[in-house]
Amino acid sequence: MLAEQYAAIKRDLDDKGIVFSFSGYLSEGILYSLGEALREKMTLEETDGPTVRRVFSVFVEQMQNIIRYSAEKVTGSTAKSVELSAGMVIIGMEGGKVFIVCGNTVINTDVPRLRERLDYLKGLDKDAIKTYYREQLREAPEEGSRGANIGLIEIARRASEPIEYDFHAMDGERSFFCLKVRI
Amino acid sequence: MEPLKIPATGRTPEVDFDFAAGILRLSGESYPDDVATFFGPVFAALRSFLEKPGDHPVRFDMELLYFNSSSAKALMNIFQMLETAARDGRSIAVTWCYEENDESMQELGEDFAEDLRHVAFTLKQVPADGAS
Repeated sequence: MLAEQYAAIKRDLDDKGIVFSFSGYLSEGILYSLGEALREKMTLEETDGPTVRRVFSVFVEQMQNIIRYSAEKVTGSTAKSVELSAGMVIIGMEGGKVFIVCGNTVINTDVPRLRERLDYLKGLDKDAIKTYYREQLREAPEEGSRGANIGLIEIARRASEPIEYDFHAMDGERSFFCLKVRI
Repeated sequence: MEPLKIPATGRTPEVDFDFAAGILRLSGESYPDDVATFFGPVFAALRSFLEKPGDHPVRFDMELLYFNSSSAKALMNIFQMLETAARDGRSIAVTWCYEENDESMQELGEDFAEDLRHVAFTLKQVPADGAS
């Protein structure tokens, strides 16, 4: 039963082309370790350096968005608090392209602004994304943003297809947010 | 002025600022878990170096392979400091190195260089070392 049950989960992941998946509490330490494993795997498969870095870049920005903005967090009471943020990250291959999906809960009141940013980015072509990136590079960060805007632009810039995203209402306060990027 | 030397870690670049020689270098990768903690001392040292009057030309070699978006903001800060000092008469040359075929890094160099008027900026293609 036990092995059968988990084999089914594993098979489901394999069928979807998923190479790495992680669900649970994410931290900067996990970002580093998962990122290293991701790069090692791609390098072993003889992926060229610039492609590895493009995938890695999207991975880092997605992970840092979860770590910083997940609405589900555990923070310790110790002086040097580790930020543990719940979320999921999935990396796979689909039609010869690497994709990265990230998911985390967000507060419903934050949804309209995030959706607006993503809608705006999705509507831009490559040159417009580049111009927007240059503008934001020179902007002072918004209050409480910790650099999210330029992170999302970086993600859109490295994507080879328009970004895909969605929100799923969980209850009156929270929604599950998902962002899929193909590189 | 004392040099600033910080060895690279898995996620922070090597900093090698030889202020006496006027040769400054950042190399490697940059995606620190806390950008402000890492770049704070770098900004402070650079600022106090540029504030001191000097006729020694300054050479800044940017040899970064990868940096995240928060580091990009920090790099922009460095570029702005250099541009201000160059506008005030300091001779400053920045070389932005990128590996061949790495269009992303080449473009990022152009992003930073876009509004430089006084800093002499050069893009330099270097051979890929095979590592990612």
